[in-house]
Amino acid sequence: MNERELHDAVSSLPKSIEPPRDLWPEIEARIGARSSSWRQRWYWVPLAAAAVLVFVLLARGERSAWDVTALAGRPRIGTTRLAASGRLRVGDWLQTDDSSRALIAVGRIGQVEVRPDTRVQLVVATTTEHRLALARGTIDAKVDAVPRLFFVETPAGTAIDLGCAYTLETDSLGKGLLHVTAGEVEFQTSSRSSRVPLGALMQIRPATGPGIPYVEGAPAPFVRALIAFDFERRGTRARAIRTILALARPQDALSLWHLLQRVEPPMRGAVYDRLAALVPPPPGVMRRGAVALESRALEGYWTKIQRIHFRMVVLRGVRQIDPRTGLAR
Amino acid sequence: MPDDLVARAQAGDQTAFRELYRQHAGRVYALCLRLTGDSRDAEERTQDVFVRLWDKLRSFRGESAFSSWLHRLAVNVVLNERRTTGRRERRIMPAEDPAALERHHRGGGGGGGGGGDNPTEGLSIDLERAIAELPDGAREVFVLYDIEGYPHVEIAQLVGIAEGTSKAQLFRARRLLREKLER
Repeated sequence: MNERELHDAVSSLPKSIEPPRDLWPEIEARIGARSSSWRQRWYWVPLAAAAVLVFVLLARGERSAWDVTALAGRPRIGTTRLAASGRLRVGDWLQTDDSSRALIAVGRIGQVEVRPDTRVQLVVATTTEHRLALARGTIDAKVDAVPRLFFVETPAGTAIDLGCAYTLETDSLGKGLLHVTAGEVEFQTSSRSSRVPLGALMQIRPATGPGIPYVEGAPAPFVRALIAFDFERRGTRARAIRTILALARPQDALSLWHLLQRVEPPMRGAVYDRLAALVPPPPGVMRRGAVALESRALEGYWTKIQRIHFRMVVLRGVRQIDPRTGLAR
Repeated sequence: MPDDLVARAQAGDQTAFRELYRQHAGRVYALCLRLTGDSRDAEERTQDVFVRLWDKLRSFRGESAFSSWLHRLAVNVVLNERRTTGRRERRIMPAEDPAALERHHRGGGGGGGGGGDNPTEGLSIDLERAIAELPDGAREVFVLYDIEGYPHVEIAQLVGIAEGTSKAQLFRARRLLREKLER
């Protein structure tokens, strides 16, 4: 059996296997036991609440700080040079120079490597919100948690983790780049947001915030046209749109999905038609709904685009994936 | 509507939660079975996943598909259990019960596994058995990468190994599988 035959055999395995017996009664008993035992012992509630309060008060000092390890050189926390490791407390600034690097443990959900010439502040450190402010420089973040627990503020907007790994760089004005290597990141300002899946990049600029994401290896003229559309003066936008539509490939569908929502209403039809020609919409997504930017249509389309994109990235070098359908060729 | 079902379950509706179990049990059990390499463990882990789901359901906010979110939760439950107990002595599908895998494949449950007329059925059964016989580390990486589609960087995080180790384990798993299936 060669590698290809093995892949074919694996792809024919069922994704779903019914358990040999019904597991529900035991599950029901376990979740029921939890609920009923608490209901029967209601008088424990005030005691438990008091215990939790004491625990929170005792632990508060520790939880509002994250561990930091020096990876190279001697990074600073505030004015103190870090020898080997230390604690970053809420409000503290961590700063690296051109020869130092540091690793921050993000609570219990992940880690952030702080590259040279970077300045970062711990803003919030609770179990439900982990928030850093990146004033300038570059960080590599890896988070293993449910979405929207980890946030990084930059001068041009906020990166919101949707369960992922990414590199984020910015200068002190907010010009930067986001490169996602696993999962997905949402980057948003008060007026605009972009979704960046693994294997995609996105330019960031002051005032405007997030640009339109594009896949790794996208042709340079295509990327230049996206930048012109997003960030240059309005007079150049029409030409940029024409270039984007002309150069777009099926794998650039995620860029067109964003473009659809950013062009003026009269242009939406043309963008939709190009997108639909490259990656046909899934059942239930109609042109009228998508052009009207109805969230159901957009979400349905995004789910398909994201699924195809994911398969193309993770199976790169392993299988040939049709960028229009996501199926193996 | 699935979204409505999730919302009702989030509000504490056990009937809705039971329906979620019905819809997703097969997918979760398949994942647990392949990751643990033991049918009894897989049943226990499947129960654990749904009990954990009941606890965590309120934290699901719909940013990703519910099935993807549940899938990730299931992977974490299985791998955490392995880390904490180290219990790996039992193997999937005891040799005295070879009909078990066949039942799974004939029993269907979506994904195209059912149907006795399927010419690839015999190969699928052999492959499932061969996967189950892989060493633990190789099996986990193979299942997560080749069957479930996780990238190495995520597998490294989930399993607690280096990315390079994940690639090496995958290479090893594929080689062992090819050898087993050629016998």
